[in-house]
Amino acid sequence: MAYKKSPQAFKASINAVTIGTGDSAVTLGGENVMPLYTFDAPIEHRPAVGIAVSDTGIRTDLPKLDEFYEGATTLLDRAQKAAQLKEADFLSIVLDAADPNGDNRSVEDCVAEVKAIADAVDKPLVIEGCKNVEKDTELFSKVAEALQGKNVLLLSAREENYKTVGASTVMAYQQKMGAESADDINLAKQLNVLITQLGVDPGSVVMNVGTAAAGYGFEYVVSTMDRVKSAALEQNDGMLQMPIVTPVASEAWTVKESLVSGDDIPEWGDVEERGIQMEVTTAAACLASGSNAVILMHPESVKTISAFVADLM
Amino acid sequence: MYTIIFKQEDGPESKVFADTGANLLELAQQAGVAIDAPCSGNGTCGKCRVRIMSGSVESKQTMHITDDEWEDNWRLACQSTVSGDASIWVPATAADFKKGIRTAGLLSPAEMERYLRDTGRIFSSGLTRGVDQTGLGVAIDIGTTTVTAALIDLASGEVKGKASAGNGQIRYGGDVINRIIQQSRPHGVEKLRHAVREETIIPILEELSVQAGAATTDITRCTIAGNTTMQHLFVGADAQSIRLEPFVPEFLELHGKTAADLGLPIAPDAPVVFAPNVGSYVGGDISAGVLDTMMWDSDELTLFIDLGTNGELVLGNRDYLLCCACSAGPAFEGGEISCGMRATDGAIEEISIDDATHEPRYEVIGGGKPLGICGSGLIDTVAELFHCGIISPKGRFIHDEPRVIRDEYGTAEYVLAYPDQTEHGKAVTINETDINNFIRAKGAIFSAVRTMLKGIDLPTSSIERVMIAGGIGSGINMANAISIGMLPKIGLERYGYIGNSSLTGACAMLVSKDAENKVFEIGRNMTYLELSTYPGYMDEFVAACFLPHTDASLFA
Repeated sequence: MAYKKSPQAFKASINAVTIGTGDSAVTLGGENVMPLYTFDAPIEHRPAVGIAVSDTGIRTDLPKLDEFYEGATTLLDRAQKAAQLKEADFLSIVLDAADPNGDNRSVEDCVAEVKAIADAVDKPLVIEGCKNVEKDTELFSKVAEALQGKNVLLLSAREENYKTVGASTVMAYQQKMGAESADDINLAKQLNVLITQLGVDPGSVVMNVGTAAAGYGFEYVVSTMDRVKSAALEQNDGMLQMPIVTPVASEAWTVKESLVSGDDIPEWGDVEERGIQMEVTTAAACLASGSNAVILMHPESVKTISAFVADLM
Repeated sequence: MYTIIFKQEDGPESKVFADTGANLLELAQQAGVAIDAPCSGNGTCGKCRVRIMSGSVESKQTMHITDDEWEDNWRLACQSTVSGDASIWVPATAADFKKGIRTAGLLSPAEMERYLRDTGRIFSSGLTRGVDQTGLGVAIDIGTTTVTAALIDLASGEVKGKASAGNGQIRYGGDVINRIIQQSRPHGVEKLRHAVREETIIPILEELSVQAGAATTDITRCTIAGNTTMQHLFVGADAQSIRLEPFVPEFLELHGKTAADLGLPIAPDAPVVFAPNVGSYVGGDISAGVLDTMMWDSDELTLFIDLGTNGELVLGNRDYLLCCACSAGPAFEGGEISCGMRATDGAIEEISIDDATHEPRYEVIGGGKPLGICGSGLIDTVAELFHCGIISPKGRFIHDEPRVIRDEYGTAEYVLAYPDQTEHGKAVTINETDINNFIRAKGAIFSAVRTMLKGIDLPTSSIERVMIAGGIGSGINMANAISIGMLPKIGLERYGYIGNSSLTGACAMLVSKDAENKVFEIGRNMTYLELSTYPGYMDEFVAACFLPHTDASLFA
């Protein structure tokens, strides 16, 4: 009997969420098939790749990274360099220095810097906080106000601060928000329910359902993303149809494989190569599991993943 | 060596000698001074508050002691150690459990009557009455929190006396896990045994014999229902294996025990029959309770839920019985709830909150001023707060409003009764931690139901009857319990409250050898599902920790 292909396109689809404005705007999600299953139905918006720049500077032990950012002394400089990378669909500003337990940079300083970047680059912007709930709440509110009209994505609100973040970013200034939960489909859905009950349009929300570096309990990530997509598409669960944005950089570059110098463990080889491999592997796994966008730190990783996506589309 | 004097508000003064570094709570327990410590001295429950009258102790301030109270020399006994001579004042509230023992009537007679339902129904099913012994018999339900007993004339089946008291072990921990840990400490076996036998059961037996105008030695037969841990602690068996993987208890059934073996002051050769345990966390209280539900003799698919200090569930009918325990915790008995209490006088058992004004209206057991909230009141409170939009589906307060007050740490609470409206002059409130504990408890129950149904691949709608037992109180509002996702959404007419099924089952076993054999048969035929290692249970649990549920369609 001849092989008969039966495409598995679903009636339900993932929400399409656009960030940025004009020609450079990028749309996340929108597909009605399982991750990367272009053979079931066309995927209009290919998974996006973002490049992250942190306000705490760059690592000095990675020569290729140094070379890429050569001459860039400020966050604005680095952001401009990163934005020029044509493989990057969007730029993510990571405001690590705002952490009260770290440099404790003032909200005003952070906002002024982000504003300057927004004026200087035309790539869509994602703003990542410092992971301190109170500080992030204030940061997101102020950034949303300062970048009115830029359609930026604030990453991300958590259960502790979704009310303020939702009201002050999406509802007041029509920005996009992320909803962050820790590798649990139920917690992810619960947060989405809470956010939409607040009056936030589900079409303005993306999810960060959590990730891990490849090999660090990544089965949980696969299982969570996989089930989120199944529920969204097969069961038409509107509270799980938000596209998934996964900040891979912060996980991939903080494990020992990406930190220990090649001088310390010669048989492991060059640390930069290792880190890039870690980042690429993790990002590819996230995309295969259901992420609609990944955020990476190393320009080499961005190029590799961008080519990977292009090949699959 | 220093001298420590304990002055009890409602008891005698005790003097003990101790070295530097001795723990105050342990000293009090040694001295026979009753201080509750449901958390077994971890500093988490805040129940062991004492006041240093003179002298000094080394102590650490915890969240349970405010700065003002600290200044006023209030300390947690479990967090204090001896550093010199001291005189310690022990308030009456430190030993709530004693109240039950003194009055031997934690439950009102009417309540006992209701709990101890006519065992006649059990004997209309083909089981016959009759045992080898004559004279009086006593059926005892050893609960983790409350011990209840009935004295019965073995020949006529007439109830000659009823009594209940708080389980004296409560000062070694509110839940079974803490008690098992306490048992493993030096002299733990004897201490826990003494607390339940000498301090609880023997006074009850004496009270019962007074009621019946008989001697305790006239009692010639005894049946005991109790969870697996309570049975282990009572007979002095090592309970560690209940707590540790693979969770296999020392024994499921005990045979051939007499009163003399167990140190009970009834006729020495009186047989003591223990209702059989099914697993580590489904014990004889459940096998005896199943007898009472009659589900073993019915074609209807029945769900039996015992909401005690833990939640146990049995699902099945005459063809099969599936059971499991879920760690619901003591919330339904008022435990781990700041203003929680059992369903006795002074407990708010019913609440409604005005949708517009958000003002509460409540019913108090006994009709007086409120002292606290019992399990059924808690269900109503959470349901009403949720329906009025005062709390979010996660159980957090949404807005600040007149009755919602925030403390300095940002934890909000809803005031049910202001200090001038209560019996004890302290506000009765429910805070976010309480609501969170409650949501976990209700999530544990509901996810257990879902897991069992999944295990036998049946839909929720196939449940034809739900029987609720336990200390939650008959005032439980099933519609509210369903609306917050604690119980499955099926017709209200299928729900019923059956009181203390464990004691009723033990009574039937007391007067009928036939019923005794039936309980053993039930125990052996039940399939035990260990949820802690069951794949998918945690997912179900997290999904159920939301109001009403993460999958709202289950309650639509």
